[in-house]
Order: sequence, then C-alpha cells, then structure tokens
Amino acid sequence: MLVVLAVFSLFVGKYPLSMRELLAGNELHWRVFLTLRVSRTVVGVLGGFALGIAGFVFQTVFRNPLASPDIIGVSSGASAGAAAGILFGAGLGITTGWLGFSWVTAFAFAGALLSVILAMALSMIDRNGRNSTIVLAGIAVHSLAQTVLMCLKLTADPEKELASIEYWIMGSLNGINSHSILGNMILCMICVGAVFLLHRQIILLSMEEGEARMLGVNAGKLRLLLLLLATLMVSCVVSLSGLISFVGLVTPHLARMLTKNSRASTMFLGGIFGGCLLTFSDILARSVAKTELPVSIFTGIIGAPFLIYLIVRGRQKI
Amino acid sequence: MSYFKVTDLTVGYGGKMIVNDVSFAVERGELTGILGANGSGKTTFLKAICNILPHEGMCEMHKAQGMTKLESLSAKELARLCSYIPQRSGISIDISVLDVVLMGCNPKLGILERPNKEMRERASEILKIVGLPGKEEMNYQFLSEGQKQLCILARTLMQDAKLLLLDEPESSLDLRYRYHMLEILRKSLKEGESSAVVALHDPALALNYCDRLLLFSEGRIVGEMIPAKDSPEEMERKLMQIYGPVSLHRYEDRAGHTQLVMIKEPEEL
Repeated sequence: MLVVLAVFSLFVGKYPLSMRELLAGNELHWRVFLTLRVSRTVVGVLGGFALGIAGFVFQTVFRNPLASPDIIGVSSGASAGAAAGILFGAGLGITTGWLGFSWVTAFAFAGALLSVILAMALSMIDRNGRNSTIVLAGIAVHSLAQTVLMCLKLTADPEKELASIEYWIMGSLNGINSHSILGNMILCMICVGAVFLLHRQIILLSMEEGEARMLGVNAGKLRLLLLLLATLMVSCVVSLSGLISFVGLVTPHLARMLTKNSRASTMFLGGIFGGCLLTFSDILARSVAKTELPVSIFTGIIGAPFLIYLIVRGRQKI
Repeated sequence: MSYFKVTDLTVGYGGKMIVNDVSFAVERGELTGILGANGSGKTTFLKAICNILPHEGMCEMHKAQGMTKLESLSAKELARLCSYIPQRSGISIDISVLDVVLMGCNPKLGILERPNKEMRERASEILKIVGLPGKEEMNYQFLSEGQKQLCILARTLMQDAKLLLLDEPESSLDLRYRYHMLEILRKSLKEGESSAVVALHDPALALNYCDRLLLFSEGRIVGEMIPAKDSPEEMERKLMQIYGPVSLHRYEDRAGHTQLVMIKEPEEL
C-alpha cells in the first residue's frame, strides 16, 4: 500500500507529470520529478515512518498509550525552536550547511530536546510516577512552547520571517526539495536503525522502573538514550515539514491492534502505517483544493476520531 | 557460611521507619517465608533487598570468591544473582506470553543481543512447567490475573538467578494454583541449588511449604519458626503476635502427608 501511495505521490501535484513525458525525456518534467516530487515523496514515506516509530518509542517508554511526540510537547517545542532558527539563523547569515543541515534543523532539534527534558523534569514532581503526570507535564510544556512561539512571532518581520514561521506551524511538505532533505533523512534513518537495534530494551522499559532494574536494565540511562533518538527523529522530520499532528499517536496503536503484540515487526508496521498516513495526507493536501492545504488538516481528520475511539475503548475496559 | 545474609537493614521514607534493623540469614536451597499483617513492611523489605529502595544496612550473597555486597552491584550483575516477582507486574503493553518469559534472559544478554533458539525452547518448556502450555503467542493482557502471575513466575525461572525474591505471588491465584506455584518453586530450588525469600499472605501455604518463617510486625522480625521442627504450641504463641488468637493442628492428607492447619480462634472482647 505504501509503495502504491508513494508512486501516486510522485505524479500528483500542481504541475501535472506524466509517465509518457518522463519516458520521452522531457527536461522540465524530469527536473520537477527529481528535485521536488521525489524529495517530497521521500519525506512523506520516511518522515511518516519515523514519526510512527517515534510514537511507538514514546508510548512504550512512558507507559502511556496517549504519549506521542505531539502530546508531550516535542513537536511544538521543535516548532518554537525552528521559529527561533528562522529568526536568528537568518541573522547569522547561514541557511544551509553540510549535507543540507540548516540552522532551522539545529534549532528545531534543540527545541524538541528542551521540551523532553522539561516534560520529564516536571513529571518527576509526582513521586508515584503516574502515567497521567507525563501527559499533564506535556500539556504544560506544549503551552510554554506555544508562548515562546507567540513571542518569536511578535518580533518577526511580518513580510518575510512571519510568513516562514506560519508556514511551519501549519505543517506542509510543500517547498521540500532534494537539496534540503539529504542530511535530515540520513540522520533520521540512522536514529530509526538505532531504535530497531534497541527494540528489546524499549520493551523492557515498558515495565515499572524497579521491575525493569531487577531484569538487569539500567532504566535511567536507557530511557534518556531512547528519548534522545526518538526526539532527534521527530526533529529531523518536523524541521522539514513543520508541525504534523496525530501520526505518531495513531499509527503504533493501529499496528498493535492488528498484531496484538509489541515486537519489532509491530514497530515496523507502525512505521509503515505512519508512512502511509503522511503520504496519503500529503496527496490529499495537494489535490483536494485549488491551493495546497496544510497536511496536518488531513492527519488530524484521520487521527482525531481514532483518539476518541481509544478513549472510549479505555473506558469500556474499566 | 550463609548463602544469603541481611544485616541491620533499615528503610524509611517520608520521615517514617518502615523496616527497622532487620537481620537474618538464608541457607542454600532454603525457602524462607515472610508472614505479617498488611502494612507490616514485607514489600518494602523485599524491595530494599532488591536495591529498588534506598536503605541502610547490608545484603550479602555467597559467590565463589566469598560474600558479595548486593548494594555494590550494577543492575545487570544484581539481576544475574537475584530475581524479583512483584505483587503485580507493571506490564501494560500488548506483548506475547513468550516475549514476557524471554525478558528473563536479559541479564545474560548484551544490550543489542537477542534471545537465541535454545532460550526460546527453554521458555516454552518453562511455560509447560508453570501450567501455561501452548500460550506462547497469546497476548499477556488477555490472561487472567492468576495466569499473569504464573507467566511472571516463568520469567523468573527463565532468569535462573540464585536468589528468588517473591512478593505475595499467590495473592491473585486460586487455591489449586497457589499450591501449584509453591510446588514449582520448591522443585526449582532443589534443581537449581538456589534459595528463595517469599512474602506470603496465606499462612497455610507458608506453614506447609517454607523451611523457615520470619514473622514481621511493624517493620521488625518478631519471631522465627521452623515448621518442620517447632511444636504447634510454640508456633501458635509466635503466630499470635501477628494474627491474634490462633490454634495449629496437624492433619494427614489422603496421601499420608502431614499438613499444618491454622484456625483463627475468637478474640477476647
């Protein structure tokens, strides 16, 4: 399904491409295909995959089915960081460096990391370590990141920087090109690979800290390492696309509902669903209206009802 | 030399002493039971031995080179020596029964290693032993509370540690499985030359399966008994400290084995 969506994504958009023109060697078609469509599809597929994997890590490590990069404030932290990158990176006069790494990416990562550290520090106030505390801590961090974002927007140049920041907040794969994705996607896939290698440890962290420790797990260090990897993944994606909601929350649940376990294959399936959701949402974003719509509208339309379903299912279990 | 020794163990939190200056020793192959009323400090005591809770005092275990202080060990080193069954496992994700049992291999594996074929086969064997044959692929969350506890026992047996610490493992089991669990535990101690310390809720189980019993009250050991040797009258006197008036009787079951039965006598008003 992901392959079908990916192929479809290569040919859908403002500038219509056809296989016949590509085979005929039409230079303009090839340029659009290689610089815009391929990179956009790669971010849709791999970015969605990474968000799905990151969601699996967050939910398992926090032992909370509602934990996701969005809910614990990582995405909004990354967005605030990216906005700072747009403002101060421009001031530094550097936009793109080695492998396409940009100040925006670096600031987005720093923002996301800061959010995780803050959310974890706040959740430690509750010594009982209740699952709900991390969600509440995330809401607080999310609000704080939004406040920072508002302050940054107030200082932004309304004609240039503010537009870029707004574009970020809406979340879109529009504007992604082959020059900007290489570094982010390489780093993102390295993190994904590392998370797969550490899958067994992720599962061990799903237990209470004392129980995990008695199975030989150094829970504190391992949790920090995994959250760093997951945060880096999310940062790599959102630094290119802006805020994308619900992908990390919904797709791990879909995978678990189908497999009824949490094996590496389930985590992989969650990633595949993530890739499908983001690619499908991106196809809709550029095809349902005359102007391109933000991709988060469609990930939200699919994700929000599923979140409600999870809440209802949770209540029925009680 | 004792196999496992606790010296002057003291635990407290929130300005309150929960376990106060407890010392005892366990011999190799011995099943030591802890009996006490709710809130007497049994769980806190076991968690302190596991180093989950900070404490004063010392826990030592016999190794080839002499006694090793458990407090000085890393999480992995400790898990190779000791395993722990909590009252309820905190597993809250969808996970297969086999994967839960294979968690017991973690102390022997490197961080990136995966359980091998032999470990998987051993896990299936252990599941048969504990009474969960053919449930390898079943979702752990769909098991009954009793089956979950048996699955965690299987994980502990898979861990193959030299000291097993169990916190009321029988609390969610029905009568038949309570006895089954203690039978498995005794058998595994004999086969593996390991020892166990088990906090029990049910005095009948404790009296009939444990080699030695420690009676806990308000965080202290108020009595010690060896059910196979001590007279019922002597044990009654000790048990009264935690249960009030009780009487003990020895009965023969149909197989001709003697069993101790405790009856609660009316309290004097």
